[in-house]
Amino acid sequence: MKVLIAEDEFISRTILEAILTKWGFEVVATNDGESALEAMKQPNAPQLALLDWMMPGMDGLAVCQELRTLKSRDTVYLILLTSKSERGDIVQGLEAGADDYIAKPYNNEELRARVHVGRRMITIQNELREWEKLQGVLEMAGAVCHELNQPLQSISGYSELLLLDMNEDDTKYQMLQKIKSQVDRVAQLTRKIMKITRYQSKPYAGESRIIDIEYSSQIKKENDYHG
Amino acid sequence: MAEKRILVVDDEIRIRDLFSEVFSRAGYMVKTAESAEEALEIMVKTPFMVFFLDLNLPGLNGVELCRRIRKGWPMSICFAVTGYASLFELSECRDAGFEDCFTKPATLADLLAAAEHAFTKIERWKKR
Repeated sequence: MKVLIAEDEFISRTILEAILTKWGFEVVATNDGESALEAMKQPNAPQLALLDWMMPGMDGLAVCQELRTLKSRDTVYLILLTSKSERGDIVQGLEAGADDYIAKPYNNEELRARVHVGRRMITIQNELREWEKLQGVLEMAGAVCHELNQPLQSISGYSELLLLDMNEDDTKYQMLQKIKSQVDRVAQLTRKIMKITRYQSKPYAGESRIIDIEYSSQIKKENDYHG
Repeated sequence: MAEKRILVVDDEIRIRDLFSEVFSRAGYMVKTAESAEEALEIMVKTPFMVFFLDLNLPGLNGVELCRRIRKGWPMSICFAVTGYASLFELSECRDAGFEDCFTKPATLADLLAAAEHAFTKIERWKKR
């Protein structure tokens, strides 16, 4: 998972970057609020960010506020790094849009635990999003199959009946057979769409995932969700 | 031998017409109904033993209709014909008492084989 760091102080930033890399994160390091905000606006931007509160120019608080005004983007989990620890400041940070905060100087175990909470929240949100997408796909599949299979039954059935009445040498027989075979092709398509009854994804390149069609179209077990 | 009678239940007239034509040609006596409620009314007057039921019916759905038919007339044989395979699980259809389940568009060969199989069974039961 990608994580963004916004920290103006070189040594703190370098240490943070090293620790997070060691924990398996792909780190995007920035040294001020403006470039942090810019990096978070990029396509495929990190969803997790560690923002130093005190930075020259745009501070961490302002970055939180800005990010929360952006619409139609992936869920972001924002952790403020603060040397302030007065209660009022924490409230101000959370109200500005931060999800959590870590008081400096922090201990590595606490940092790891809080970053993992963020990762967990993002994973849950992303899964929910994927589930919602699948529901849309299934509703569409249902509508398409229902609307298409009714007329397909008529066309295919009457073609079959007509073929029974005709002589195989008749050119019309051959034309009708072509119509019938094309109708059957469309029917095969609806069969394929109907086979997607559940969502199972598998890793693809990097951190992206694709639907595991093989698994998603297997016959459901008895204890599975009945839709 | 008594005539082989089939009741087709589907809310779409084109499907009812097609199935009537297909089964009539094969020598069966066919009656159609456009809803589960109409089918049950027919059953009270003249019981049928072999059924082809659409699952997505207005009002009472095909699965529920099958349950009621099987409860009232346990020897009956019902086949499901559905436009959307995932509407009901196959296990749910079997549990309701369906003999088999076909997805539209079903081939005439499959439908006729199902009907023939059903009447062969019924003949065998009568000889017991």
